[in-house]
Amino acid sequence: MERQAAPSSAPVSLGQEIAELWGEFLHCRIGPDDDFFTLGGNSLTGIKIIDRVAQDYGVQLSVRDFYLAQTPARVAELIEQGRAGA
Amino acid sequence: MRLTPGPGYDVDLDSVDLFDLDLYTSGDPHPIWDAMRAKAPLHHQVLPDGREFWSVTRYEDVCRVLGDHREFTSERGTVPTHLGTDDVAAGVLMTSTDPPRHTEVRRPLGAKLTARAVKSWEDSIRGTIQRFLEPALDGETFDLAERALLLPAMVTGPLLGIPEKDWEELVQLTAMVTAPSDPHFLQGSEAATLAISHHELVTYVKEWVTARRAAEGGDDSLLHHLMSVRPGGAPLSDEEIALDGYSILLGANVTTPHTVSGTVQALVERPEQFEKAQADPSLIPNLVEEGLRWSSAACNFMRYAVDDVHIGGGTIPARGAVVAWIGSANRDAAQFPDPHTFDITRSNAKRQVAFGFGPHFCIGAPLARMTLRVFFEELLQRFRSIEFAGEPQHLRSYFIAGMTHLPIVAQKRRTP
Ligand code: HEM
Repeated sequence: MERQAAPSSAPVSLGQEIAELWGEFLHCRIGPDDDFFTLGGNSLTGIKIIDRVAQDYGVQLSVRDFYLAQTPARVAELIEQGRAGA
Repeated sequence: MRLTPGPGYDVDLDSVDLFDLDLYTSGDPHPIWDAMRAKAPLHHQVLPDGREFWSVTRYEDVCRVLGDHREFTSERGTVPTHLGTDDVAAGVLMTSTDPPRHTEVRRPLGAKLTARAVKSWEDSIRGTIQRFLEPALDGETFDLAERALLLPAMVTGPLLGIPEKDWEELVQLTAMVTAPSDPHFLQGSEAATLAISHHELVTYVKEWVTARRAAEGGDDSLLHHLMSVRPGGAPLSDEEIALDGYSILLGANVTTPHTVSGTVQALVERPEQFEKAQADPSLIPNLVEEGLRWSSAACNFMRYAVDDVHIGGGTIPARGAVVAWIGSANRDAAQFPDPHTFDITRSNAKRQVAFGFGPHFCIGAPLARMTLRVFFEELLQRFRSIEFAGEPQHLRSYFIAGMTHLPIVAQKRRTP
């Protein structure tokens, strides 16, 4: 797959959107660079978030990539990559 | 962790760190537990990040903490790797439910795992174990601990109804849950390792259930049984089945291999015990009990105090976490004379609490006991002697006492 954008160039607004999505499940205000596990995230919230991303963005994230990414900004990059590859 | 304690050393119980992973990878916890039973039967520790927990180490206190759910609840989690974060599966997963709900959740599975029910699997398990031991017969180095990780999957896979191609992946995932910091299993951070493995295991069983529902028709596997039972008149939900399947996979995969390795190691270190068992196979059931006591693969389980509770000469405050050290209870001289002696003729070896105590007593114990008995029957019948072919390597975990490597070389018996 040809990657079109360098990982760090995912639009800032997408990172912000993902942060808001996490906020719904983690019940707090979240910034794009906050850490999933420090915020109290666990596999049950992870399952829900991955499902929502698939629904809302049409990208099925890999479980490992998701937990290793760990911040909304990096998850936004994964979504960008997924879209570029789709 | 070392199962035979080395020379005693001075233990400062005020500064000891029971969650120091190096202690289990390369240190010697038994002298610490010996000192705790003698001098601090209720021990309190605060971790650098502020989380705190109490510990009980004496046989009777360990039984009380594990067995009395009115004083010590399982609902907020029972695994010390989750200390301080309430368990995500609280009140759903069998292990993290108190009676009376626990009794309901446990019943459908328990009926399929009684000693009588598992007896019908004995022949197929024997065949599996013969295949497992086969490669060791040619006299080459055999890494027992590494290979044994696959043994429970080989045994329980067909019983659960899980295809062979998936075993290795599932074993990897269950190992990640129990020893997330061991370099053999770590993915990114400890938290990420736990989340990935939990997520993928639950998803695996869920997809299995979905596929089976679509395929209709049944088999006599355990998971299929869970799909058809109706406790209290209603069928179990897919999520409940997934969590039961998760508990079984975890319970079986992470403990049995280390009991095998720990017991074989004890026998190799003590040729006179090995010969005794070989000369009289009727000792094997007791050898299994002594091996369970000796290796105590589930090193501890955790509970939370419901109210202030007086135990071990002190008080655990309401909502405090308490770790019941099974590995220590099984070496309590008040229960087992000369506790650090491995003796396959020990008269009360059966009182070991390696399977826990009370309502959560291991549901897989009859299956584990049978697997271990058959394993040692086959081992002792096939091998004249066993020697070490390298140093053992210990699992980096304060929850599961086990080995990642135990290289051995075996000599075949001339007339099997
Ligand atoms: C040598 C092997 C094994 C050891 C040392 C062991 C140890 C334990 C211990 C100490 C507990 C009690 C946990 C607590 O009090 O919170 C337990 C529970 C459990 N074990 Fe095992 N286990 C072994 C094998 C197995 C096998 C083969 C299975 C599956 C077939 C299994 C499945 C379970 C399950 C599902 C529970 C939860 C029971 C409940 O909460 O009611 N275990 N095990």
